[in-house]
Amino acid sequence: MKAIAPLTEERFFTVFLDAVDGTVCVPANTTGAALQARVAPHGLRFPLLLDPATSLSAHVAATTHAPASCRFGQYCDNILGMNWRLPGGRVVRIGERVAKTTTGYDWLRFLLHAGGRLGEPVDYVLRLRPACGFSLLAWFEGEAAALRGCVSRLLHGGWMHWWDAVDFVAEGDRRRVRVAVDCPPGEAPLFTEELQRVAAAAGARLTLQPATGGTLDGIPDLVLKTTPDRVIALAEALAQPAARCVGLGYSGVVHVYLREGGDRPDRIRAMVESHEQALYALGGDWHSRWLPAPAPASAEAAWLVTLEQALRTP
Amino acid sequence: MLSRGRVFTSPAQLAGYASDALGYKSYPPDAVVIPADAAELVEFMRGARDLGLPVMLRGAGTSLSGGPVAAQGGVIVHTSSLRHIREINRDGFWCEVESGVALNDLDAALKPLGMFYPPDPSSGPVCTLGGNVASNAGGAHCFRYGVTSHYVLGVEVVLLDGTVHRFGGPAGGRGRWREDWRRFMVGSEGTLGAFTRFWLRLLPLPEKVWTLRATYPDLRSIEAAIHALVAHPSFPAAIEMLDPRGVAMVEGSRMAAGLPRGSFMLLTEIDGPAALVDARVAAVSDILRRAGSDDVAFSDEEETRRRLWKARKAAGGLLGQLSPDFVVQDAVIPKGALAEILQLVYDEADAAGILAVNIFHAGDGNLHPNFVFNSRVPGELEKVERIGERLMRRVIAVGGTLSGEHGIGNDKAAYMPLVYGPDSMRLQWAVPAAFNPRHQLNPLKVFGERRFTG
Repeated sequence: MKAIAPLTEERFFTVFLDAVDGTVCVPANTTGAALQARVAPHGLRFPLLLDPATSLSAHVAATTHAPASCRFGQYCDNILGMNWRLPGGRVVRIGERVAKTTTGYDWLRFLLHAGGRLGEPVDYVLRLRPACGFSLLAWFEGEAAALRGCVSRLLHGGWMHWWDAVDFVAEGDRRRVRVAVDCPPGEAPLFTEELQRVAAAAGARLTLQPATGGTLDGIPDLVLKTTPDRVIALAEALAQPAARCVGLGYSGVVHVYLREGGDRPDRIRAMVESHEQALYALGGDWHSRWLPAPAPASAEAAWLVTLEQALRTP
Repeated sequence: MLSRGRVFTSPAQLAGYASDALGYKSYPPDAVVIPADAAELVEFMRGARDLGLPVMLRGAGTSLSGGPVAAQGGVIVHTSSLRHIREINRDGFWCEVESGVALNDLDAALKPLGMFYPPDPSSGPVCTLGGNVASNAGGAHCFRYGVTSHYVLGVEVVLLDGTVHRFGGPAGGRGRWREDWRRFMVGSEGTLGAFTRFWLRLLPLPEKVWTLRATYPDLRSIEAAIHALVAHPSFPAAIEMLDPRGVAMVEGSRMAAGLPRGSFMLLTEIDGPAALVDARVAAVSDILRRAGSDDVAFSDEEETRRRLWKARKAAGGLLGQLSPDFVVQDAVIPKGALAEILQLVYDEADAAGILAVNIFHAGDGNLHPNFVFNSRVPGELEKVERIGERLMRRVIAVGGTLSGEHGIGNDKAAYMPLVYGPDSMRLQWAVPAAFNPRHQLNPLKVFGERRFTG
């Protein structure tokens, strides 16, 4: 086969909305609210939002998951491509605008959560989902065993695929389980009946409310990644009068929210030091927008030199 | 270095390793080794580096991209001894498996626990998880469930210098590493290191499944059905398409499932709690009818569903009935361009006198046009290559990509210049430069210029 001549110029994503394919390309500094306003008229939504007033890039810089990752996966599974500004200033296209690709090495997932060390996003191509028309938030309260029972039933049954979120929320002395639902209006009774069955079986109290702003917890101060079965214990351990913890049940993630104050980085550091070894042993990790990333491990330093050379070439 | 009886060099022993499932190109290796365990694999990697041998990792060899073949000679490492399922953690939704475990063996182990691992390439009965991770495999049900990269929590990899690294683990984070190196490993097609084990994310099995099929008279009407389905809140798990040639091929075989001939066929599936999917099945069948089908059938009966899926998944393997060789493309396109690109496939193939059969993952826009030909007929392969190039140029022009789940291998490496500009190409090359700078691992794959220079 005759060799194909290489491209002499970069390809880039341009801003678009493809309602058929359920994809949109927006600037990375687009706020959650602006994004939803753009896609909602097409019956679509981007479910992984934490704060409508905050930019998408700030979401991604702070955490890998959102409550709706329970159903739709993490950010890197829902950001299909991006225009990326390299540390030297040039912009490259990374990833695709289609949902599946195994073309070349996966720079998209490598760069996405690299914390600004290897450049910054300019535009994102996002995978959207149908907005089903009816949203609901369910709160379970009760004894610790009852709440654990709720989470287990919610995640291990066939309904697990249809909950937008199954979260353990610890705030001060209060412990609750939160379930977010997004379903067609006609199916709402089926979802409600299942939630009631779970509450009855686990011995928990159930409160249902409209979902407006329900899982918009804000941008977390600290994010810890463990296995799903350890989320409740970790959130319990981190919750203290000044901390609100949201454990994302299936994702194995705990989002920690701290009161403001000059000592916030120190408090985060203390939390990290108490738990990081246990997280590392499981292949977990932590991240905080208030602390610098740890130094590279010795083995990765040489690999990084090679990559950074390519990234920084003017 | 290796246990007795684990090195194979006779032509008869090597013959089965000369190609992958693509078949039409043959590259006999100089030797095949089957390390007894990960420790032997580590020793072998060190020795191969010192001896300057090209090394290709291979699972079951079901790749459709010319991936695990000795395109530059050298030694194929067959990972068939690494086949233990080490742990299944139901509460934590993860399992730990060795890289040579067959996909369906994992599913068989998970099913009694009410769990499953979603990626489901058609080669499931034999393909290995190592090959799945290396090529970021997909399958029919990836429309809703996603591909392999969505489920890999951790990778243990042996680099060419014999060092062993774990990127991630049961928790699916970075572990002690600052950067997320696991991301480069998934889909790296054997060019960065040798996988020994994985930690994979699991899901609870759906309670009930309805499978629906519908026939359509033309491309435009089946495209309308696909567009309506992907936007529907029933979130189908799979949306597959067989063209009339594919249906005829299946119905002419032992895999016949009673499919109506002469039409485009759409196969879709909804799954979930019984109460939910029973309430949805009528709405989904209405969608299929409104798009232009007067023949919609659906079933929740296990045997009927199994026959339909067996027919769909066996279709690729039946192509050999039509001609000795085939090339299958794996492009992914925005679904708005489905009918246009499929028509291009037929027009180009018909003009060249080449038979094209389309059987693919329509929900993802992941095309699999199979070009059936005879490589012993002078000029036929060249015709197929010319069609492939024109097709790929159009795929890129409409915003698509070269490969969705098969990988690039050496079969699609020639098209890579269509995708990357100078800066992004430099980034691509930096990845093997970091882990395998002399291209000793799987040379001539992904990028055709990746030649091992000794």
